[in-house]
Amino acid sequence: MNVNYPSDKVQAAGAAVRIRRLEKRFQSVIAVDGVDIDVSAGEFLALLGPSGSGKTTILMSVAGFEFPTSGSISVGTEDLTYVPANKRNLGMVFQNYTLFPHMSVLDNVAFPLKMRGVPKAERYARAEEALATVRLAGYGSRHPNQLSGGQQQRVALARAIVYRPRVLLMDEPLSALDKNLREEMQLEIKRLHAELGITVIFVTHDQSEALTMADRVAVLKDGRIQQIGPSRELYERPANLFTAGFIGEMNFINVTAEGSGGNISVLLPSGERWQLPASAAVEPLTGCQKAVLAVRPERLQLGDAHNGFTFRVKVDDVVYAGSASLLIGTLPDSTEIRARLPGASDLSALALGSTAVFTIPKEAILLYPGAAQ
Amino acid sequence: MTTATRSRFWHSDGRRLSGLATLLLLLPFFAIIAFVFIYPLAQLLFISFFEPKPTLDNYARVVANPVYTRVLLRTLWTAMLVTGLSVILGFPVAYYMSRVRGALAALVGVCVILPLWSSVLVRTAAWSFLFQREGLINSALMAVGVTSEPIKLLYTQGAVVIAMTHVLLPFMILPIYGTLRSIPNDYMRAAAVLGATRLRTFTEVILPLSMSGVASGSLLVFLTALGFFITPALLGSPQELMVATLVSQQIREVLDWPFASALVGVLTLFVTLLALIFSKTLRFDRLMGAQT
Ligand SMILES: Nc1ncnc2c1ncn2[C@@H]1O[C@H](COP(=O)(O)OP(=O)(O)OP(=O)(O)O)[C@@H](O)[C@H]1O
Ligand SMILES: [Mg+2]
Repeated sequence: MNVNYPSDKVQAAGAAVRIRRLEKRFQSVIAVDGVDIDVSAGEFLALLGPSGSGKTTILMSVAGFEFPTSGSISVGTEDLTYVPANKRNLGMVFQNYTLFPHMSVLDNVAFPLKMRGVPKAERYARAEEALATVRLAGYGSRHPNQLSGGQQQRVALARAIVYRPRVLLMDEPLSALDKNLREEMQLEIKRLHAELGITVIFVTHDQSEALTMADRVAVLKDGRIQQIGPSRELYERPANLFTAGFIGEMNFINVTAEGSGGNISVLLPSGERWQLPASAAVEPLTGCQKAVLAVRPERLQLGDAHNGFTFRVKVDDVVYAGSASLLIGTLPDSTEIRARLPGASDLSALALGSTAVFTIPKEAILLYPGAAQ
Repeated sequence: MTTATRSRFWHSDGRRLSGLATLLLLLPFFAIIAFVFIYPLAQLLFISFFEPKPTLDNYARVVANPVYTRVLLRTLWTAMLVTGLSVILGFPVAYYMSRVRGALAALVGVCVILPLWSSVLVRTAAWSFLFQREGLINSALMAVGVTSEPIKLLYTQGAVVIAMTHVLLPFMILPIYGTLRSIPNDYMRAAAVLGATRLRTFTEVILPLSMSGVASGSLLVFLTALGFFITPALLGSPQELMVATLVSQQIREVLDWPFASALVGVLTLFVTLLALIFSKTLRFDRLMGAQT
């Protein structure tokens, strides 16, 4: 079997990946439940979700290790749904490096070329080149166990790109590394992505990793897509209550909402009534119903700033953390409220047990139907 | 590895065992080894060099007489044959065992281990039953028409090799199975995603990584086969002696302890040389599963 690869000097551009109505069952467990994802050529997509949400299963279906119960997967113009993994010509980086311990680093990187029948001299030259791409030129003669975790993962990267696949799949590739190395590798992967123009599908359960690295993030829960969008959109206007709570920190206040014309009137636990613009409702509200008012901790302003609604919070704790301080307090109905205050804020008035006044800017409020737990 | 210079034994909570605890744990074992292995072996080697007077004559007799060198070579050759056959028959079984799950895996595992619960004598007797002139094998061969006369199977070197392979097979299968099971599934997946067919995944990744299991299984089978007694004694031809049988004859019938000891000395030399070669090329700690 010979898989085609673009000739030497041609830059392998990424290919689009289309996942259609993907469903995967393991006996009674529905691991993936009707997922549609379109990744455009050269895009960096992160799959983000809690444990057991089906991220790995989706990636394994794309790689060809799991065949879906139903649905289809195509790369470029090819339908790959039932093509065996070794004929897909995709790149993949695993969490635990999976470098073959009985081969030198160079042989590891040259392995995919060997499988494609590339002559020895050429495959070693190209493997050296790939090692240089991940800044490990000269490490070829070592064995994997003589490298640090970060270096091993870079070798794994070199091995995954040496045959110029159009799509690179990564399943939590950095979770085995410590924090500093992880940040270094994040940059390395971003750089490679930009340099090679390859399409990347990147599984992670670290949301800051997903938000900083990816062009778009797909949030999964229980095998279903909750939201797909650019990081900023996910953070600033989460599409539903789950995403709102899952991405970043969020304050939730249970209210009763009533839509009327262009305005929404919400009744707070304290008995106060606020008039919100219709745009605050992320999902349409019908009549009078239970709803959740959501606001990011960093959007709360200390004191009456005259640009939104004010409310009172009993101060339970103030945690000083340099660039920002975290205030933890409660509303009269004991709903917990967190506020992140800029480092320079005057905190002297915030004695524990005292009451502080906060302002929520109108545009910072999001409203979801339902109730927070 | 560098921190493990003093004691290699730890409590489950990570503390090292004290020197005393180590001693208490290992002393009974080493005491038994010393009394039933090292002491008699030393005694035998002593006899081989010092009886009737300090001399190398006993060894000279082993080397000088072509009958005895032939016995030694036959023993080595038989042990090699048994080892080779065990690898060929054992590897597929071990590979299969490492791939299947559930009830079938348990069944195959029991089939491999069950024979170990019966004695070597019973299994050898079973083979002598099968190899008889009117035994199952001969009647089957004649029924199929391969032969019209019963073939002489019992008391041949072939019978010895077959029965020894059968007896020693578990000692080949289990170490290979162990290494195969320890190869992470992700290696197979990585190979596949990199373009390897199943066959190439096997030849390029699985086979090389299972070599340490093959080596430890081979060592186990080969060394055991060298000293095998019951099976050659019961199934082998009296004209084609193996070392263990010869030693027993010399001790019990001829009462020539010095010569028997010299035979043991030669065997010990072989085994030691082999162990040294293997430990140089294969590293014993890795054979035993230590991570490096
Ligand atoms: N081979 C399998 N057999 C049975 N159930 C499976 C199998 N693989 C996955 N599952 C189930 O499918 C669901 C999704 O699993 P998956 O591994 O895709 O989650 P994940 O999002 O990758 O989680 P994590 O963050 O923990 O890696 C889980 O409920 C899991 O138990
Ligand atoms: Mg996973």
